[in-house]
Amino acid sequence: MSFQDSQRTARSGSMVEAHTTFQPRVFFFHFVIAVLLLVLIAGFAYQQLTKTSLYHEAERVQSQRRILVPGPRGNIYDREGRTLVGNRGRLSVILNLDELRAEFRREYLQIRKNYRDARDADKPDMPSSAQMWRIARAAVVQRYLDQVNAIIGREVRVDRAHLHRSFSQERLLPYTLIEDLAPQEYAQLIERLPVRSPLQVFSTNTREYPYGSAAAHTIGYVRIDSDPETDEATDDGLTTFKMKGSIGVNGLEKQFDHILQGEPGTSVFRVDPDGYRINPPLEKRLPRQGNKIVTSLDIDLQLAAEKCMEVEIQNPGAAVAIDVRTGEVLVLASKPDYNLNDFVPRISASTVADLNARRAWSNLALNGVFPPGSTFKLITAIAGLRAGVLTPESVYTTDNVYRVGKHPFRDHRGCVSGDIDFYLAVENSVNTYFIHYGLLLGPERIAAEARRFHLHEPTGIELPSEVTRMIVPDPAWKKKTKGESWFDGDTANLSFGQGYVEVTPLQMACFMASLARGETHTRPTLIHEENRPPQRSAPIGLSAENYRALIDGMELVVTGQHGSARGPGNVRGLRVAGKTGTAQREVQGGKIELAWFVGFAPVEQPEIAFAVLILGDTPDESYSGGRYAAPVARAILTKWLEKKQRGPATPPVQFNLRR
Amino acid sequence: MSLRRFDQAKPFVTLGIIVAVWLVLPAVFKSFVRVSFFELEAPVEVATSYARDLQEYWALRMHSNEALVEAGRDLARLNAAYELRIQENTALRGEIERLDALMRLPTFIDYRSEPARVVRRDFSGWWQRLIIRKGQNFRITVGAPVVFTGGVVGRITEVRATTAVVELISSQNVRLAAVIEGDTRPISFQGGLNTSFAPPKGVVEFMPLDIFARPNARKRLVTSGLGGVFPPGLTLGYVTHSELGADGLYQTGVVELDPRLSSLTEVTVLVPLNPD
Repeated sequence: MSFQDSQRTARSGSMVEAHTTFQPRVFFFHFVIAVLLLVLIAGFAYQQLTKTSLYHEAERVQSQRRILVPGPRGNIYDREGRTLVGNRGRLSVILNLDELRAEFRREYLQIRKNYRDARDADKPDMPSSAQMWRIARAAVVQRYLDQVNAIIGREVRVDRAHLHRSFSQERLLPYTLIEDLAPQEYAQLIERLPVRSPLQVFSTNTREYPYGSAAAHTIGYVRIDSDPETDEATDDGLTTFKMKGSIGVNGLEKQFDHILQGEPGTSVFRVDPDGYRINPPLEKRLPRQGNKIVTSLDIDLQLAAEKCMEVEIQNPGAAVAIDVRTGEVLVLASKPDYNLNDFVPRISASTVADLNARRAWSNLALNGVFPPGSTFKLITAIAGLRAGVLTPESVYTTDNVYRVGKHPFRDHRGCVSGDIDFYLAVENSVNTYFIHYGLLLGPERIAAEARRFHLHEPTGIELPSEVTRMIVPDPAWKKKTKGESWFDGDTANLSFGQGYVEVTPLQMACFMASLARGETHTRPTLIHEENRPPQRSAPIGLSAENYRALIDGMELVVTGQHGSARGPGNVRGLRVAGKTGTAQREVQGGKIELAWFVGFAPVEQPEIAFAVLILGDTPDESYSGGRYAAPVARAILTKWLEKKQRGPATPPVQFNLRR
Repeated sequence: MSLRRFDQAKPFVTLGIIVAVWLVLPAVFKSFVRVSFFELEAPVEVATSYARDLQEYWALRMHSNEALVEAGRDLARLNAAYELRIQENTALRGEIERLDALMRLPTFIDYRSEPARVVRRDFSGWWQRLIIRKGQNFRITVGAPVVFTGGVVGRITEVRATTAVVELISSQNVRLAAVIEGDTRPISFQGGLNTSFAPPKGVVEFMPLDIFARPNARKRLVTSGLGGVFPPGLTLGYVTHSELGADGLYQTGVVELDPRLSSLTEVTVLVPLNPD
């Protein structure tokens, strides 16, 4: 080896790394790194192994969405199984926005390019990116809508604000382009739209009322519910998109909303980071229809009453008929009313204005209180008979004027005069007779009798907003509410149903049902039950002779020579016991008269009780109960008798309220 | 070494280059190539069809005279029966026109009938279609209904120079408005999920709840005429089963289609005279 070689070897040898077995400083760093790695691994292990369910849940909540479809509401039937409220399919053409992502993107790029080109051409106003996205989406949706327009010959335009709201908040839900397609439009669309298209025909359900306005106040209506209730199973943190449902607002629809409401169906989808749906759904549960309700209403009687009120009488009013034995309400009519189909899918502003103008919202049968007029004489009579102040043989001689202090109380025009016995007093509704015995009785006993028949409190029928302000006045009541003393004039007024006393037609119908059974309380119900046991309450407390005299007097109202409902209240082949009444009420511009007719039939074995109230619409015009209210009762009773003689048309329905 | 590796990868590289070139080619060129392919392929199918006809002709020529005489008699009987039917149909048509006029029903779109031979049938999980031996040369139009003696066959989805493609009603891509015979409410008919050799089926949706269909009480499903594509009253099939749909307001059902759909040799295209 030469010197140079040895030198090269020595130099190169000096460049070889010298390894030592242990270097404390390096070991320290190894140790530190190892510790850090261990900490990291431990951290990972802790997070991944002990918090697995937490992260899994977070991932699930982030990547999954639930769509909730409300179930159809349950049907409502009358007592013979005829559908009063059903559902009908409502076909719409919808657009699945979540399938249009690529198109939106393309349109957005095109719009942006167009704006940039335009800006180059000296147009500096360029919309923001968000605005361009909105324009792009509206343009794409309008293109699809134009396809539909071309097929069915409409000219519908996209509501941009609604589209933006739907896209932002309900991207996974179908966006409705056109609602309530006619059958031909629907046929044209399914035949001409491509099968695989974001455009689809979609069915939703809506309420259907085959009888239109019949029993409208009783049945009630629904409104669109944008936030339908969900069960607890859906309360798991997942973002839920709810399709619109419906909720009862009034009547039975509101009262039994919890029964009628369907069970919603749910679909859980995985979504991508932009919120677009990935098919197929991870979970799917079909919606179920709500439970059915069988009401006690008899639609034949209801229609008969309403037709008479609308066509023959043409005045506002209410009619109630009750099954005497069970308290089941057969008729609950109120006029003016509304066509329930006008509320589907939503009521128009013009219809609302019309209903406001006609004052059609209120159910006069139970939402309004009215002086009962001479029908209240039955209370006075019962109180007098029970107290012994009055007997069937009691005679009072009248000249048709009764002076209480300086105030003369007069009988109605054409009233009989002279010696009046109990039967004639009831038959001809002689005010002075009942004023005389009412004063002998005193207000407390009359009021107590009215309270015994529960005229001072709501009936408790299964309907919302039954009025609670009915009044059965007595001196204590007047002192408490008005701070005034009670006068004989007040007693005179009370004895023939004027003054402060106010009741509802439903209460009067219940009173008649109680009287027909010889009892004091009837709890009305709108739910029909086969084999419902008869109602029982405290007995009326009259001797058989007195009770018979009262009923005979009421029968004479319809059949007697001086009967105030002779003719209009008479039904061939049916013995009817009734009582007319005419009350006055102060209104703007004078006084209107209220015509009443209450009673029950058949006299020999009562089965149906009724109360009819007709409101006069012209101040200071005469509206007698016999002339205006009795024809409605006759219409009900005639139909009832016809059905009874014909026998049941169909076997009674036996629905389960709980499926 | 590296050269050998490239040789091994050459087919993939070539394929990749072809795909890349295809991707960047203009859409017009691609469309032209595709149409040209079908048009170049069509004569082969048409020729095959003619050859098959010729084969059948010679097969018939092989029959004995007795058999031909017997067939002639059968044909004469059949012709007589058809003559009678024609007379009956004429009378019925007159009656229908009278009733239409009486009820002031709108007149339906008129069609031109164009009989066509079937040159190919595709029945599989993927395709449910026929190719017929008439196309633009007979002014066949896309969307035109196609019928046969048993009712609706389908509708034209593609028209070429001398052939046309018929999407069968058993295909999931065909949907039309139908009615149950005797009812007026339109329901949606769509081809079902049909597999090879299985009897063709379809499905109906939005069927009213008061229509009950069971295998032993099946309902005849006919075209509604409301959709504007198919004339009314053509048989689609029979609804043999129905069940409550998801919304509880309508039923869905299964439709048995005519099994002859899979062995058609001749169909009629109804070409609308006044298309939209």
